[in-house]
Amino acid sequence: MNLKHCLSILLLAPAVALAQGKPSDPQIAHIVVTANQIDVDAGKLAESRSQNKEVKAFAKQMVTDHTAVNQQAAALAKKLGVTPQDNDTSRNLQQGAADTAKKLKGLKGAEFDRAYVDNEVAFHQAVLDAIDKVLIPGAQNAELKGLIGKVRPAIQAHLEHARHLQASLSKK
Amino acid sequence: MKFVPGRIEVAAGDAITWINVDFVPHSVTSKTVESGDLAQDGRWTWRAQGAGEMAYICRLHPMMRGVVIVK
Repeated sequence: MNLKHCLSILLLAPAVALAQGKPSDPQIAHIVVTANQIDVDAGKLAESRSQNKEVKAFAKQMVTDHTAVNQQAAALAKKLGVTPQDNDTSRNLQQGAADTAKKLKGLKGAEFDRAYVDNEVAFHQAVLDAIDKVLIPGAQNAELKGLIGKVRPAIQAHLEHARHLQASLSKK
Repeated sequence: MKFVPGRIEVAAGDAITWINVDFVPHSVTSKTVESGDLAQDGRWTWRAQGAGEMAYICRLHPMMRGVVIVK
């Protein structure tokens, strides 16, 4: 087999790996802020690298929406006097995001677009699962629980948009 | 994320106001109408003209769709 002709496949694993145990409210707040910031950063990277109009528009929207969510989260944390607390889940998120960014930065053109959008699908699906299984059930404070519940439709909409984009890119 | 109600019937001359109760920005966008970006609690009013349908989306979240039926 001629190795030079082997197809290289890049797998971008979803970056939400939840640590064992039930997180506290300060830890949940940190997870929310971290997850949002990760998608802001990924969006900024895609805005600057992609040449695809639809991908750029999606990326811009991710930056706008997740920035808005983090502004709300920061305002709520301030109101509640909660200091977001770093934790294993946040660290897993950050490590996964760093690995993903490194991989994305090595790609160009359509390869970059597909990898970015594939990751957005996986990321939003994983965040949605985390919201339903860990963050909403785990949040003790009603306002924190309410904020996460209010974020959920946006994450769902982003996931649908990303899937739509993924399907569109696969036809090209 | 969705327009609520997603479908509304009005009479010509009626004014319709969209209010963004979400904390991410949205728009009301059709072939003939553009609200601009509406921030949280932002409002935008449009007056229905002649009879017909005005299908619209959120330009920022194209999966969000709505329709106004003007009778």
